[in-house]
Amino acid sequence: MGKGRPFLEVFTCALNEDHRFPILELLVLLCALCTVFLAGLAAVYGFTTVEAFTHNLLSSSTWPLIILVGISILKNIAYGLGNDVEQGIIQTLFSYPLKKGYILTAKLLSALVIPLLLFLGISIFGLFLFFPDIILANPCTVFLTYAAQLSPVLLAAGLLLLLALRLKRGVLALIAGLVLCFMLFVIFDSVANSIAYGTGSDWSLKIYAVITPNLALQEYYLGTQGFSSGIWVPSFSEVLLCLLAGYLLVAVVFIVGYVYFKRGLRI
Amino acid sequence: MRWITLLGRMGTVILMVGLAVVLVSLPPPGSPSQSSSSYSMSPEKYKIEHSGVYRSQTGFQISVESTDNVRVYLLGVSALELENWRTQVREAYPDLDDMWIKIFTVPLIFVREAYPDLDDPQIEDIMDIVWNISVLDKGLQTHPEIVLWQSPPSSTLSHEFFPADVLTVTVIVANPSSGNVTVRTGIRDLAVLAPKERVVLPAVLLISIGIVLAIPWLILRKVKKSTL
Repeated sequence: MGKGRPFLEVFTCALNEDHRFPILELLVLLCALCTVFLAGLAAVYGFTTVEAFTHNLLSSSTWPLIILVGISILKNIAYGLGNDVEQGIIQTLFSYPLKKGYILTAKLLSALVIPLLLFLGISIFGLFLFFPDIILANPCTVFLTYAAQLSPVLLAAGLLLLLALRLKRGVLALIAGLVLCFMLFVIFDSVANSIAYGTGSDWSLKIYAVITPNLALQEYYLGTQGFSSGIWVPSFSEVLLCLLAGYLLVAVVFIVGYVYFKRGLRI
Repeated sequence: MRWITLLGRMGTVILMVGLAVVLVSLPPPGSPSQSSSSYSMSPEKYKIEHSGVYRSQTGFQISVESTDNVRVYLLGVSALELENWRTQVREAYPDLDDMWIKIFTVPLIFVREAYPDLDDPQIEDIMDIVWNISVLDKGLQTHPEIVLWQSPPSSTLSHEFFPADVLTVTVIVANPSSGNVTVRTGIRDLAVLAPKERVVLPAVLLISIGIVLAIPWLILRKVKKSTL
């Protein structure tokens, strides 16, 4: 028997567990409704450049995407995977003729990649349906905005994976994950801005822009809205660097997660 | 069984997207702002009543009441074409104030085409002729493609308008009669979340595909539940 069938078995089990009827359908309805509603509201505001208008339209309408993928990550990775480790389900999966890395890949495909692709697809479809001229005219801005918006979400997913594997308890991982996300995206944001405001130096904002490149991109397109006004207005190459560094960080966190799952996980 | 489940779940997801598309098109147009004005129009003259940039989600409703028959035109020009016309007007009338050119691009291009021999005119020369209905008629004959809608001669009318693309829309009221006319106009801006004409076909397709894919799975699910 090859690796394909056991992999599909694990993947199907995870899909069944992660996306129960009709929760997924309700989330899809919510995502499609909110995307079009927020894009419609954002379209009322005019901007000096088409790129700024496109970026504002996309970043406003991707909030449901980010929130719903965030909910999926918290439920499926922090709580779901933590519970699987706690209840010995992962231990049962280890008896499959499948490498540990493949088991984690199957789990992540169901918990992260499927909702991400689904909600991303809905978001792009909704925008394309109502703003085809704007979406088709600025593919670079569209790609950059989606990439920047999803970078912090993927980073949170990687960190929650590490937490779930380390804590080995679903509820505990969920609470710790919520606290970590709050610290990373709310408290760290205020701290970075306060340091920049107090010292007049932009290094804290640059570090924070690696975690949240969407703010750097927002600052680049819309002016002083993302960070403390005027302290750091990134150039296009700086935004690209932040985005690249952000995805490198995401890759490192996931690699650490895989290595820990394969070698360090003691059940 | 697994394939039916997979296709069925895909169907329910597609169905939900279709329903969401229908739902966003249901709210009636909202009205963020409105304005009204009343004025007297000289015989055989026309006037720009309103001008603004509109897209498929934003439109307006115009209502007109007058003491005699007037004609109303909605003219739509794309941003590219408008810029092109401004360049032509600047080249034709270099002494004209740029603010004037920006506000009255459409009437000025009509003047340039109705009177191609007008050499370096002063603002007073242009003011004498720019609002003549003959200039408007000549301009509309030359550029019939910019007429989005035109009313029949009428003393009372109301019209709701949403453009298909992003356009600078100019509302023109013309008095073709030989006497003065008192005109009272109202413009109400309208905003919709989703234009209905863009929604109908995708919604029908999505809902149909969703139902076709979901039904076998839903039946199988019910049968399975009843046998347990």
